[in-house]
Amino acid sequence: MTNNKQYWKGEEDLVRDPSFIQASKNEFSEGLPLEEVLNESDFELSSNRRDFLKMFGFSVSAVALAACNKAPVRNAIPYLIKPDDVTPGVPNYYSSTCGITGMPIEVKTREGRPIKIDGNPRVKALKGGFSVAGQAAVYDLYDNERLKKPLRAGKESNWAEVDKDISKILNNLSAAGEKIALVSNTINSPSTLSAINDFKTKFESVEHIQYDPISYSGIIEANRMTFGQAVIPSYHFDKADVIVSFNADFLDTWLLGETFSVDYVSRRTPGDDMSKHIQFESALSLTGSNADVRYPMQTKNEGMLLVSLYNELAQLNGVNQLPVVGQADVAGQGVKKTAAILNKAKGKSLVVCGSNNPKNQGIVNAINSLLGNYTSTININNPIKRYAGSDAQIQSFAKDLAAGAYAGVIFYGSNPVFDTPYGDSIAKGLKNKIKLSVSSCSNLDETGKLCQFVAPDNHFLESWNDYQPLGNLFTLGQPTISPVFDTRQMQVSLLTWAGNIGEYNTNTLADRGIYGEKQSSAPYYNYIKSKWAVDDKTFNTYLHDGYVQKEDIPATAPSFIANAVDMAASIEAESKQNKEGIELTFIEKTGIAAGKMANNPLVQELPDPISKVTWHNYIAMAKANAEKLGIKDNTVVNVTIGKDKFAIPAIIQPGQANGTASIHLGYGRKVAGKVGKGRGVNGFASINGGEFTNYTVQGAKIEATGEEYKLARTQTHHHIEGRDIIRETTLDAYKKDKKAGNRYEKPQVVSLWYEHDYQKDGAPNHLWGMAIDMNKCTGCSACIVSCSVENNVPVVGEVEVRRRREMHWLRIDRYYTFNNVNNVDYKDAVSEVNLVATSADFEGDKITKEKALKAIDHVESQSTDPTYAHYENVSVVHQPMLCQHCGSAPCETVCPVLATTHSTEGLNQMTYNRCIGTKYCGNNCPYKVRRFNWFRYNDNAQFDFHFSNDLGKMVINPDVTVRTRGVMEKCSFCVQRIQSAKLSAKREGRKLEDGDVKTACQRACPADAIVFGDLHDKNSEVRQLFQNERAYSVLEELNVKPSIRYMTKVRNV
Amino acid sequence: MHQIESQIRPRLIHGDKSITDVSNDICRPIENKPTNAWRLGFGISVLFLALLAGTLFWTTWTGIGVWHLNNTVMWGWDITNFVFWVGIGHAGTLISAILLLFRQKWRMSINRSAEAMTIFAVMCAAVFPLFHMGRIWVGMYWVLPLPNAFGSLWVNFNSPLLWDVFAITTYFTVSLLFWYLGMIPDIATVRDRAKSKSRKFWYGFFSMGWNGSARSWHRYEIVSLILAGISTPLVLSVHTIVSMDFATSVVPGWHTTIFPPYFVAGAIFSGFGMVLTLLVIARKVMNYEDYITIGHLEAMAKVVMLTGTLVGIAYLTEFFIAAYSGVVYEQYAFINRATGPYWWAYATMMSCNLLAPQVFWFKWCRTTPWFLFVMSIIVNIGMWFERFVIIVTSLHREYLPSRWAMYVPSWVEVAIFLGTFGLFFTCFFLFAKYLPVINMSEVKSILKSRE
Repeated sequence: MTNNKQYWKGEEDLVRDPSFIQASKNEFSEGLPLEEVLNESDFELSSNRRDFLKMFGFSVSAVALAACNKAPVRNAIPYLIKPDDVTPGVPNYYSSTCGITGMPIEVKTREGRPIKIDGNPRVKALKGGFSVAGQAAVYDLYDNERLKKPLRAGKESNWAEVDKDISKILNNLSAAGEKIALVSNTINSPSTLSAINDFKTKFESVEHIQYDPISYSGIIEANRMTFGQAVIPSYHFDKADVIVSFNADFLDTWLLGETFSVDYVSRRTPGDDMSKHIQFESALSLTGSNADVRYPMQTKNEGMLLVSLYNELAQLNGVNQLPVVGQADVAGQGVKKTAAILNKAKGKSLVVCGSNNPKNQGIVNAINSLLGNYTSTININNPIKRYAGSDAQIQSFAKDLAAGAYAGVIFYGSNPVFDTPYGDSIAKGLKNKIKLSVSSCSNLDETGKLCQFVAPDNHFLESWNDYQPLGNLFTLGQPTISPVFDTRQMQVSLLTWAGNIGEYNTNTLADRGIYGEKQSSAPYYNYIKSKWAVDDKTFNTYLHDGYVQKEDIPATAPSFIANAVDMAASIEAESKQNKEGIELTFIEKTGIAAGKMANNPLVQELPDPISKVTWHNYIAMAKANAEKLGIKDNTVVNVTIGKDKFAIPAIIQPGQANGTASIHLGYGRKVAGKVGKGRGVNGFASINGGEFTNYTVQGAKIEATGEEYKLARTQTHHHIEGRDIIRETTLDAYKKDKKAGNRYEKPQVVSLWYEHDYQKDGAPNHLWGMAIDMNKCTGCSACIVSCSVENNVPVVGEVEVRRRREMHWLRIDRYYTFNNVNNVDYKDAVSEVNLVATSADFEGDKITKEKALKAIDHVESQSTDPTYAHYENVSVVHQPMLCQHCGSAPCETVCPVLATTHSTEGLNQMTYNRCIGTKYCGNNCPYKVRRFNWFRYNDNAQFDFHFSNDLGKMVINPDVTVRTRGVMEKCSFCVQRIQSAKLSAKREGRKLEDGDVKTACQRACPADAIVFGDLHDKNSEVRQLFQNERAYSVLEELNVKPSIRYMTKVRNV
Repeated sequence: MHQIESQIRPRLIHGDKSITDVSNDICRPIENKPTNAWRLGFGISVLFLALLAGTLFWTTWTGIGVWHLNNTVMWGWDITNFVFWVGIGHAGTLISAILLLFRQKWRMSINRSAEAMTIFAVMCAAVFPLFHMGRIWVGMYWVLPLPNAFGSLWVNFNSPLLWDVFAITTYFTVSLLFWYLGMIPDIATVRDRAKSKSRKFWYGFFSMGWNGSARSWHRYEIVSLILAGISTPLVLSVHTIVSMDFATSVVPGWHTTIFPPYFVAGAIFSGFGMVLTLLVIARKVMNYEDYITIGHLEAMAKVVMLTGTLVGIAYLTEFFIAAYSGVVYEQYAFINRATGPYWWAYATMMSCNLLAPQVFWFKWCRTTPWFLFVMSIIVNIGMWFERFVIIVTSLHREYLPSRWAMYVPSWVEVAIFLGTFGLFFTCFFLFAKYLPVINMSEVKSILKSRE
């Protein structure tokens, strides 16, 4: 059926008007109002529908194609309820205290994650000095190998069950009166001691044993004997004109090394006020490397040398000498000379000794008493509380434990199976018949592994605590993050087991909000507050400041009550026991904290300040001994000490006294994470225990095995080759001429390059520069760790360091110089080589290279002395070396893609995104400070050192790009800090002031050796230093115009 | 083109060849089935090529950390090999361009293979600057001055590495054109003799419709001369620019103005060495002894001796200037070369490059093929070590003694170098099988029998 009806829409349709038909072909007969929509101003849009569809189709397909690339899902979850004090992108700083070093700290957090630890500059008594271990400790927080739950019989359990079991056993043992030991390192926390007391009140059979892996009980005993006070006095290196140290590494590991560094350096500015430092030691320590005069000695002679020193001083002062046969001295009459110098500085001198032998320390006390130092440089009334461990206690504990005298033992933050000489007997005791063994280790360690229970302690950044480092100083520790894992701070555990945590458990909503299902530290906050017994406001002020300083305790001279004659007699008797073989000393190493920090990748990769070895320990040998035994660097040697035998690689260490060798402690962890496990040899096992642990072993037999273990060293050439890199002089010369040692004719240079004008809108822009004082730099290396943490510098591991691929943006070059050759003082010759010279030598007579080279030849030709006396007695220079941000940078011109360019503020900047990795910049850098990412170090199973896994990434500083593989990186002068300081100044509507920008290395430097600032600011400190007579640039003659100047080293010889 | 040959002069081509003989001789390997020797050689070359592909993939996938470069010595075998291969290429250009301009007829029977060698050597050389980059995936095009949306972010015209990019790409392009253009009449000959369909098609395609007309020959001659003119400065410029990779730096031992002429002389030296290596074998294996005569070999031996001595003078001049400069760093760099831990590399370089070629004062040495072959290998070893000495011994002990380090290559670096020989010989074997290795049309012009 057809439908013939005609339908029409309207008149126009019916009459079929041609204009209508034309218009009807156009879908949008009136045109789209697109132009109106878009054309707010002059925007022209003349596209029709087809164009629109074409563009639309293209856009859609382009977007679709782009979307085909599967992007990884990254979650950025905003705060549901934003805490008042957290602004994303803005760091918060908290005062706290470092649980490793006991120093007051300032913790930087970003979005709730602690990412950097620095010293707390407000604590005057400790001067804000800060060290390697503390800087590095932030990495431990994000160690994914930490214990995640309490362990029971080696298996993960939960707190409720563990608490129930432990409480039950404790109650049973206590009821039966069986002995329980609580073994810890020194605890100087008043509230923790109080918690332990509470614990002891509940369980009466508990005995608290404190020991320290590196023991100071000899000093404590000596002070008890000589002054009747069993304490470690505080030492004031800033008040001493003359410092004499016998084996005490007081700038690094001895007592409060960080604080002592600050004090020491405050008197090292050349001038009348400069102190003189004399060091007697067997191994070349960091402190020895800074000494003005260093006498190598064998540790077994230490006692007799101290007696000699006393006798010399006694003679000068008309006091009775100690009756010993003969007068011991080192080569060059060091003791006699030292005595004369000390005697001139009576009351303003300081003699310290690193020995753990109370008799030696007793003689030291006698010397200091004789010199009248107890009212000035030593304060026995305000003692150092950091170490109070007793060797005798841990020795008898180990014996009794092995014999089964203890029914229960709790290890609180201690690992005596590893870090005491009694590891074997303690391990044996733990394996037999013990009814309760608990460890609080947060990473499973040698002791924890043998315990029935592990109640993992929090990281100190997750805990509340308080400390008493000095008699009149208290510091507070506060958590900056809630516990990462299900751990609980040990004090809470003790109180829980004792059953009296309940009263402190307020269980407020806020507490639960923070801690969720995890164990809360809040009760301990309440506990501390109740012990401190101050009102909320005062307590919060303390918390804000991080410390409480009580009034000064004046130093008074204690009366010497001991019989020095008996001590000397006993020292003399001991010195006569002579054993064949080499004297082997076990010494502490920077940062590794006797093994506590062995699982920290930053510490492991940090080169030893002297030997520059990483990741392994070694036996440092004197050249004369090594030569005789056919030992070279990296030769594996067998060391036999009595029945004990182990193999360890050797290095030849200039400065090591002939007849001695030394090994670092803290290596050879058997139960540790992937970082620390099985690296090196554990020296604790070879130490002679006793009432006072003796870290020096006599009569070690050393023989080469013929094998080789290539140690990963960051510096393998130690001779300066007569180059004008280090400039140094003597104090006498400096006093005569401030430019002494720095009198060089500037080369006539013509630059091919246009000068940068560093102007902005016609006005001078910032021009950043840095001054490094080589007199202040002790080489402590805290700056290296600080830089690595701040700038997300990856840890690359032993194999890569061995290939010379360490990534540290900042390194410290260490050079040795000979003091004399064949006992002839070649100061003249050597001085030219090392550019140590008196100004008189150089008035009108500039140093020529020929002269310098001749001088080298001279020294080399004299270097055939078979006793290598000159090797024993070397001087050391530390030179921090980082990107010099050259004004005419050789790296900038050679990059084909402009990935490294010069900023308008004088920075040499790297654009990582642009870098294609030709590495030409690295080759062309005269200072060799550029670092290449040979692999993807930040995210690679091969380099899984915390930083490379998901949890470890939490420590990454969000302000600094994480570099991928194939790009070059280097020091940026902490450009992120510069930018943030500039922004702050801008926001506050003021000019940037000197000191607003502190680079990470500068902030970490306890010695203030690094000064950074604006060279265009007329009043800036760095500008003053640039104009100082001592200022010079390394490789000035290349005319690369470095932005870093070094200050000549001045030795007070 | 009518050639007038002196009857007194010795013949350049021996064996009393007729024009037909030439065509038959040269086309024989192309038209016959591959010999067993060819199959074996080609097979081994392809194996090494596969090694190259594998190791380059491994390097790119894992990171150039698989090489044992370090933060002191950031260039090692990679750039050594780069300069080595680029240098080798130079002989081809010299023979084809400069000798063409000087109307040296003896070049005619060797220029084709020498040019092929240039192209393959440049290909091998290009592997290294490409793959030594940390991020080759962006580096490959970021070094080109391409317009982009990043504003002022462009290439750095101050950088010698950028000059390198231009130099090498220009060199490769011009050499390829020159080589291909010179081959067109010969490809046409092969086409005309071809029997199979595919041969007819492919050789027909590549001969670009060559018809042998007077006009074609005229154009051909003109373009050849123009390209020779363009190539001639390239002989000097390419290696000059390569030398500036070093000379413009501040590294003691690199920073010397003598580098450009010294590098060019070295390049020609090593290039002739490589031509000798190839031709001594090729003339034997392919029965081309009548075309590549002892006279050719002798002429090349003379060039080797001349350039070797030039290079030797450069070595001594460097030492003198270092001593004369009074710069400690410069002086030490050279003392370290001769007496430092890499003294053996220096000794190898000196004996292979300066001393060994002096034997060519004796005619027997210049005219004995097996001896020339041995010498050519020595020359190439020496030149490889020259680059190694310049690069590694300068870098490993620079200004600050604290950063002094040693460099020993990893197996990957060695494998990549061996692999480039695979690439080179694979190309060369293909060339020898599928293209006329001697310029038939030109050789025909110098036959005595034509008259």
